[in-house]
Amino acid sequence: MKIKHTITDNTITISLDGELDASSSVLLDEELSNPSIMMFGKILVDCKNLNYISSAGLGVFISHLQRFEDAQIKLIFFNMQEKVRNVFEILGLDLLMTIVSSYEEAVTIAND
Amino acid sequence: MPQDKTIKQVSFLTGSVSWVLLLVNVLFLARQGHMGEANAASPYLNNLLSVIFILSVFLYQRQYVQIQRSEEFTSPLWGLFVKGGLGAYLCLLLHLGYPGLNEHWVNSPYLLDIFYQVLFGLLVYFLGKAFYTWRQFILYHKTKEVQSQWKWFEILVYLSLLVPLLDVTYMNHVFLILDLALLLGYSLYMSVHQRWIAFLSLDKKWACIFLLTAILASVVLFANFLFLFADSSELVVDYTDNPFILIALAFVFLYALASLLVSLFSLPTSRVFEQRNADLLSFQRLSHTIQQGQSEDEVYKILFESAIKATGADAAWLEIGELTHLDTSHTSGDPIDSEVQMFVRALVKRIHEEDKTTLDSVYVNGDLNLIPGFQDLNSPYNSLLLVPLVSPKRRYGYLYLLLELEQGFDPDTISVVQSFANQTVLTIENLRLMQESLQNERYKEELKIASLVQDRLNPKTFPTDTWFDISTYSQAAKEVGGDFYDYLQLSKSRIAIIIGDVSGKGISAAFHMAQMKGIFHGLMQQDLLPDEFMVQANSALSRCLERTSFITSSLYIIDYEMQGVSFARAGHCHTLYYNSMIEDTFYFQTEGLGLGIVRDASYAKRIHRLHYDYNPNDVMVIYTDGIVEARNTRQDEYGEERLKYMLSQTYHLEAEDIKSAIINDVNDFSSDILHDDQTLLVIKFKQRQPII
Repeated sequence: MKIKHTITDNTITISLDGELDASSSVLLDEELSNPSIMMFGKILVDCKNLNYISSAGLGVFISHLQRFEDAQIKLIFFNMQEKVRNVFEILGLDLLMTIVSSYEEAVTIAND
Repeated sequence: MPQDKTIKQVSFLTGSVSWVLLLVNVLFLARQGHMGEANAASPYLNNLLSVIFILSVFLYQRQYVQIQRSEEFTSPLWGLFVKGGLGAYLCLLLHLGYPGLNEHWVNSPYLLDIFYQVLFGLLVYFLGKAFYTWRQFILYHKTKEVQSQWKWFEILVYLSLLVPLLDVTYMNHVFLILDLALLLGYSLYMSVHQRWIAFLSLDKKWACIFLLTAILASVVLFANFLFLFADSSELVVDYTDNPFILIALAFVFLYALASLLVSLFSLPTSRVFEQRNADLLSFQRLSHTIQQGQSEDEVYKILFESAIKATGADAAWLEIGELTHLDTSHTSGDPIDSEVQMFVRALVKRIHEEDKTTLDSVYVNGDLNLIPGFQDLNSPYNSLLLVPLVSPKRRYGYLYLLLELEQGFDPDTISVVQSFANQTVLTIENLRLMQESLQNERYKEELKIASLVQDRLNPKTFPTDTWFDISTYSQAAKEVGGDFYDYLQLSKSRIAIIIGDVSGKGISAAFHMAQMKGIFHGLMQQDLLPDEFMVQANSALSRCLERTSFITSSLYIIDYEMQGVSFARAGHCHTLYYNSMIEDTFYFQTEGLGLGIVRDASYAKRIHRLHYDYNPNDVMVIYTDGIVEARNTRQDEYGEERLKYMLSQTYHLEAEDIKSAIINDVNDFSSDILHDDQTLLVIKFKQRQPII
């Protein structure tokens, strides 16, 4: 699992590469727990190369969801593969989180 | 062995008899000389009897003196001196007393002959004992070569007995003299085998030197008497004509002399050997501590004592972590002066701070007094040796050794202490590994119990009823898992079935699973609708589930009287269904959020209830994600489609057979490799039957 982030103005884009399982979700949790992330208004998550997400990986996003919402930070997922999206949908997270198909779409929604 | 005993007894008998006969023969011969009358005695009989006597004595000693195995050398030497060597002093007494005895008491011409025979008997006994005592020493820590050399030496020496037996005067034959000279050379060569001396401690060496000197004196005395009477006209026999006696005497003398010299010259080096031996023993003690199940403290103690012994340190302390673990006051010494200790610690700290790479290396300072400030302490110490206790993984502590001598630690001693330290670290780490593995063993046992407990939490049998057929399968990826299912009979015609999956695996998942079952049984007493149950369960779980955990679950309430099933899906896998009326296999597509994700009242908006009227022969398949997310070697997932296909092929079978078919197919697909907990329930509805 590789986690990279790029920063433009008020937006941080986190790209996930590989499988988000129990061990790699710890890395993601560290990334999202970093206090400096709260300085951004928008967090975009690039899931293009995310091949698998385990319940532990989902748990990390779920645990930070409320915190971001309270701080009025937008969390947007994009470029999600079909099977990963299916996992989000079965759990009902697609109605709770913003999942869009492309980066442009994500930027548009973020800037609304 | 009985054979040895017989040889000993026989040789003792022949020895005694032959000596008495020899004495008698000699006296008869002497009488012949004095009286001029012929009698039964003959000079050749002398040779024969003496050879028999010599052979008997030597064979007896050969059996008597066993080959040495222990490191005890002084007691055989002592035995040789007391039993054999003292004979020479007895002869001395006889010799000194002879003139007086002859004049005042006995005055017999035969006395000298008797005296000479006694001398001969004592000499042969001494030679036999000495010969085989030397064998014992030569063959100590023997090699194959030494053993065969000794064998040939023994044979050749015994062969020299042929000379008197054949009544040859060897002095008349040049080649015989040459042979005997060569044999003498051989015995000189055998005297080189002095391996045993290396195993003597200093005290033992002194004892050996003393005993060897006494034995040498005996040899000289014996030789002196033997040659004193050689070619004497007063005597009828002359044993100097017997080359065996000469060779044996020469060998005994040479070996004793060589041993004495080697012992003397090895005296100065024996301290070193003793030190080496002590180091080796300390090393062994260190490495044996694990098997004896000793504690870390004991290992440190052995290291500390061994290091002090090896270096002869005047003061020392062992620091484990930041604390002084042991100092010289723990080993019958004086506690080290705390000011000196502080100073040395500060010095070491300074050095370590200057260069971090020195942290794990040995530090030696042979002139502490040159360091400013040390002289003010008035300490007697001049040399410091600091040995770290380190493994590649961690640093355990430091061993400080102080000597009063300047430049007191030589490289050799340092490397010995260093290897002690290394061995200690190894021992400590092995001890810890062993304890860890014991601990792990205990954990494993406990996990096994947890696994058993959890296994009992999932019901094995459902109420057998005529309304439907149910078959279950459950397999945890680890000892304990997060999957669960359960049922509760709500009324005569209604049953609630729950299935669920706690996020994560292992112990924490197992705990939450047990909690969820409790919630199910608690809440369903109120006969809630499926969606109502989910809302209440969500609120209950919100208070006890950690932030990153959530639970997916589906609850089905089957009413056989109404022939209907109503259910709610909280983020759990879709329900697979076969409808026998329309002959179609499909998934119920309902929406519903997992439990513990949204932890406030808004959850009620996220869960929905679905009601479906079933027909006889309909099949419902409920499962956890371990089934559809089972992976093959190419990391493909089993998937909902394949599961649906399997049901469409097997719906006509009994519930048990449908379950087996699906599980077999999943296992084939994943080559029996389990990534996640798997649970599968197959429910087949039956014809409505009247309630009795």
